[in-house]
Amino acid sequence: MSEPLLEIRDLTVRFGGITALDHVSIDVAPGEIVGLLGPNGAGKTTLFNSISGFQKPDEGRIVLEGQDIQTLLPYERVAAGLGRTFQHVKLFTNLTVRENLLVAQHRHLSSGSLSAMLRLRAWRQDEAEALARAERMLDLIDLRAWEAAYPQALSYGTTRFLELASVLSLNPKVLLLDEPASGIQQKEVEALGPLLRRIRDDSGCSIVLIEHDMSLLLSVSERVYALDFGRVIAEGSPDEITEDPQVLSSYLGRTRRTHATA
Amino acid sequence: MTQQAVEVMKPLELPAVVRRRLTGAELAGLAGLGAIALLPIPFGSFGFFVGQFALIYAILGLSVVVVTGYAGLVSLMTYSFAGIGAMVTGIAMASWGWPFWLALPLAAAATIPVSVIVGVTSVRLKGLYLAIATLTFADALGETFFKWDRATGGLSGWVVSRPHPFRSDASYYVLLLVVAMGLVWMVTGLRSSRVGRAMLAVRTNEREAQALGINVYKTKLTAFLISGALGGIGGSFLALLLKQVTRSAFQSPLVEATSILLVTVVVIGGIDRPLGAFLGAVALVVQQQVFQGARFFFAYFGIYSAALLVLFLLYRPGGLMQVVRLQWRLIQTRPRVGIISTALIIGLNVGLAWLFVRLS
Amino acid sequence: MIAAHPVIQVTAFGLASGATFGLLALGLVLIYRTTGAMNFAHWAIGLLAVIAYLYLANEGVPVVLAMLLALMLSPIAGIAAYRYVFRKIPRSNHVVTILITIGVAQLFASLAAMVLGFKQFTRLPPWLPQGKVSFAGTELNTTDVVTIIVAVGIAAGFLAWFRFTRTGRALRAVAQNREAAMLAGIDDVRSATIAWGIGSALAALALLLVLPHVAGKQGGLITTFDVTPFGTLLIPAFGAALVGGLVNLPMALAGGFAFGLVRELLVLAPRPWSDMRSVAAAVLILVLLILRTERFFVTAQEREALEA
Repeated sequence: MSEPLLEIRDLTVRFGGITALDHVSIDVAPGEIVGLLGPNGAGKTTLFNSISGFQKPDEGRIVLEGQDIQTLLPYERVAAGLGRTFQHVKLFTNLTVRENLLVAQHRHLSSGSLSAMLRLRAWRQDEAEALARAERMLDLIDLRAWEAAYPQALSYGTTRFLELASVLSLNPKVLLLDEPASGIQQKEVEALGPLLRRIRDDSGCSIVLIEHDMSLLLSVSERVYALDFGRVIAEGSPDEITEDPQVLSSYLGRTRRTHATA
Repeated sequence: MTQQAVEVMKPLELPAVVRRRLTGAELAGLAGLGAIALLPIPFGSFGFFVGQFALIYAILGLSVVVVTGYAGLVSLMTYSFAGIGAMVTGIAMASWGWPFWLALPLAAAATIPVSVIVGVTSVRLKGLYLAIATLTFADALGETFFKWDRATGGLSGWVVSRPHPFRSDASYYVLLLVVAMGLVWMVTGLRSSRVGRAMLAVRTNEREAQALGINVYKTKLTAFLISGALGGIGGSFLALLLKQVTRSAFQSPLVEATSILLVTVVVIGGIDRPLGAFLGAVALVVQQQVFQGARFFFAYFGIYSAALLVLFLLYRPGGLMQVVRLQWRLIQTRPRVGIISTALIIGLNVGLAWLFVRLS
Repeated sequence: MIAAHPVIQVTAFGLASGATFGLLALGLVLIYRTTGAMNFAHWAIGLLAVIAYLYLANEGVPVVLAMLLALMLSPIAGIAAYRYVFRKIPRSNHVVTILITIGVAQLFASLAAMVLGFKQFTRLPPWLPQGKVSFAGTELNTTDVVTIIVAVGIAAGFLAWFRFTRTGRALRAVAQNREAAMLAGIDDVRSATIAWGIGSALAALALLLVLPHVAGKQGGLITTFDVTPFGTLLIPAFGAALVGGLVNLPMALAGGFAFGLVRELLVLAPRPWSDMRSVAAAVLILVLLILRTERFFVTAQEREALEA
């Protein structure tokens, strides 16, 4: 492929005696949707934690757009173009839905504390812009009616969409989604695939997807990596992966499974 | 999902800023505040002194609102910052002959080196470490800065006088009212801003804040710096209130006890509400005056305020406003329970104070 | 009282007061590791034992009995505080956890102050052997020596208990991974109760050991200011705990001795520095913070457990 957007090379993470990631290498092209599958404990979330900066790897390289981002702190990696969601939805439970989205606009604003306290023009402009952006996001996920509510009042699936909207506010180049379909209803899962593709089509961002829901993963990914015991055991198109014997025995079960086409 | 997904990525048009009209409840609240502000008048000179004291506690409370209520950091050196402000004001006015209006910004600025040292070392660690660091520094400052004669004016301290138009009790009270409300306005503005929301995000869930691109260290440090400056400003006005600043109040054990009292003031007000700091300050300062008659004031008031701190943290994190709201609702839905519980609350507060005074 | 070998005498004194900080730190670390709460009220819970001892001893109760009864009061207070107050705050709420321990600290300290105000104790019957003992050509206070021995003994016993008994191992399991421990059948409420009980007892012992060093200065009257200043006891205890990254018990004990030594050896320094105990503690703590000692002692797993 042409110059990959995100390059992971020989990434290794050890916790005491356990090797969570063992020389994992992954490439993500610009605008590509890549799926990650593997059983629990295979190291997928550890991989995300390493890429996003919450876990320090023992070996390996992480390169985004040609730049080694390993020295960057998590919030600096966001500035470099990374965005991620978490396995368990992380939202600000002290803040309303609207305020959650306002917080997510942080990157796009620049006014400081002094202009805020003195209510100067820079502050007013920033607030207007933040509000406009947040309201666009609110409409995107159809949560206008709930904007003054707190996340606890929402259904789990809705909070997942809220988290997604927050991450999208960052305008990321690479979006790391950790099990976006877990805990949500079937019809919302079915809507997720087309939504992810539309997000990619509109913004040009790449998406890396960890998912246990096979129909979603295989229907939306253009390439899939299979992990087990911290190692990449297979790589290829969704069709190739479902026929790979290693993948079948470790994860999918012995019979060949068909996946739903989008 | 709607078609609007496509439109998200187009350039934005900024809407005009919307102005809201005040709701009925908010007007009532403002009227209530106004009434409270007028309270000291029938009590003459003593009333104004208590009022001024309450307003200074409110200003110092704002310092806690920013660092703890917004950014979620526990600071036990709020009163030390006040002490720095007070002493610097004393030095500038009594020793160098500066006018108050120049001493005030200097007092605020003087807190910056201290908050930078404490902040920079602790901000990359968990909040617990900052709490320990502030306690340590409050103690250390009490042993050094607040023992040096050149800084504290010796044992007798600094004598300062109020600037010309504010010499009388009433006029200084009004000045403090204006300043306190101005600072409340500023701190409220901070809340509805990029930096303020970042602070709240850091307080609620630091990991998620990082994942959204917020520089959590800079945010925490900013909160600490602002809080220090607010403390310095409060201390500066405190110097004018007392007209004589002496150092014992800023040494161990009083400095930690007062910093804790300021936290209690803010917790009673609902920890992240600037106006709540005002309410809490009024409530506690008034109660404190009642307790003054008691023989073991330090102990009794300590028990009372500590109990308030624990009870509010456990059961009423929304502060006094939440208490009022819940009691009001209770009276409407279950009148007998509501009235009895409200009477109990008021009775306990008044009765305890009376009891302690009698026990002396 | 500086005699022929001031360094040795001051060292003994420093180790004795360091023993106090070490015991306090052990309790702090135990409670922190098991429950995730840093107990700012630790010293105040110990203070209650001191008050109880003073009361009983002044009423004529035999010293040893008074000591034992007093030692029982702190665990009761600590466990009550845990059960009725601290348990109600979720671990993840760091701010409120700290604030509420501070509130309880103030409550207990004020109660102690009230008792001291009412009862006006003037006698401080010593419970440790008095007199002098010869060592390395100089005279040391027996109290200091016995303090060190008692503290080290108790600490060693506690560390052994923590390492080798079933209950101790259960507490360590809870500290490392609460959910896994619960799945293994370990009751985390019971573990927390035990941690608070033992931690509070250690605090009580620590304060009873230090009492003779600080009390009875105001014309023979023991006032709260002799024992309550928040900083005097809590800060060196925190510092000692920091030496072990807030999680390592033996290092916390060692840290306690270190802090005690530094504080007392300062007396031998030239004039302005000799009074700067708080500054010395502050500098040490600053250094420990910059070093980020927790890196050396906290495993990734434990960090997850502590952050809830």
